[in-house]
Amino acid sequence: MRQFQTSTLEQRKTFDTDFETHPLEVAWASEAIFFVDVEQLDEGSGSLHLKVQISVDGVNWLDEGTIFEPIRVKERAFRRVSHFGGWLRLKGELLESGSLYKATIHLVIKE
Amino acid sequence: MLDYRLDKFQPLKHILCFDDFDNGLCGWTNLMPNYTLDNFGVRDSIVEKTQWGPIMLSSGTFRFSGTHGSMDGIYSLKLATRPVANPYQEPPAPGSISHAIKRLTMHRKPNRLQFEMWYAYTTEQDRSGLSENDIRAFGVSFDMQDAKARNFVGVRYVNSVNGELKKEWQVMQANDVSDNDWAYGTDGDWCKRGVDPMWYGRRYPDGRADGYQFVPDSRQELCYNESDDKINWLYLRLTYDLHERRYVELQSRDKVFDLGQFQPTDVPPYARIEGLLNPVIWIENDSDRRIFLFVDSVVISVD
Repeated sequence: MRQFQTSTLEQRKTFDTDFETHPLEVAWASEAIFFVDVEQLDEGSGSLHLKVQISVDGVNWLDEGTIFEPIRVKERAFRRVSHFGGWLRLKGELLESGSLYKATIHLVIKE
Repeated sequence: MLDYRLDKFQPLKHILCFDDFDNGLCGWTNLMPNYTLDNFGVRDSIVEKTQWGPIMLSSGTFRFSGTHGSMDGIYSLKLATRPVANPYQEPPAPGSISHAIKRLTMHRKPNRLQFEMWYAYTTEQDRSGLSENDIRAFGVSFDMQDAKARNFVGVRYVNSVNGELKKEWQVMQANDVSDNDWAYGTDGDWCKRGVDPMWYGRRYPDGRADGYQFVPDSRQELCYNESDDKINWLYLRLTYDLHERRYVELQSRDKVFDLGQFQPTDVPPYARIEGLLNPVIWIENDSDRRIFLFVDSVVISVD
């Protein structure tokens, strides 16, 4: 049987500034999907930008190349990732000050 | 043929679990509150329990040394906090604890019950220096209930209190305080005195806590090592007499502590959890960086 884990990296957490998700070790896995469930809590026009990052040691991070479409209002989305080494996380960026988003972010990994 | 993986343990007669995390998560999961209110809400509490750091399978890899692996393979269970902490005497900050739990029930009337694990601990190596002081505490326990009472039976190693190294063992036994005191002075919290001492029960700047008693003469050097990227595997054993409702002993590394003077705290039974037998492991942060507890393997046994 193939190993499997779904991890809730961030749970109904509100963000008013740039953020990174809880780093997850994924060395045993070969494929992953980030699921995001996001709701904008402010009335502004600032969007949330999410991108996948990888790391050699869980401390120093580089963009992996996979990005989400800019998110506004309310959105559920996913991105598939593979060949990622030992760690995965999402980097979230709010381009306008005053933005406020609530997000639940899952990482689903499989051997 | 001798199984060397099991030979490093001292199990009682009947082994309930032998969890080697080279084989996956083995049923260990994150502890979460009860999502029973509207919109899957949780009851208000002075302690925010939805943000604890998620657990994972770790290769024990560090910046310069590369992959440490586990004691006899590659993977260990890793408990990882978020990079936050409150002062010791305040309720633990959301995310300042990482907590793993396995949900079992009792299948026989045991005399004794035992928790063993091989583990290591360190900080995230996100800055120069040596960071042993940033690890507040870690521990193991059973959350269990029979027809008479719910009990938390456990021990923790209080490593550091507000940055000052303490390095003493404590055993779960609640002081005679009210439910209000237990919840840091709040009324109507879900929790009762004696339940969830991992985060409930007031703590005091000298390391005392209403959920724990110090084990006499228990200051002990563990092998943190000389650098945050070097981990050494350590042995822990907690034995409890379920028949007598009394602690038996704690073994840490090669030292055995007599716990015969301690008893867990009886709490009136909660609904729908009779027969509960949940082993739990946790680690608590003392600073603004992530800390990790790596567990190579666990044996739960009874006789």
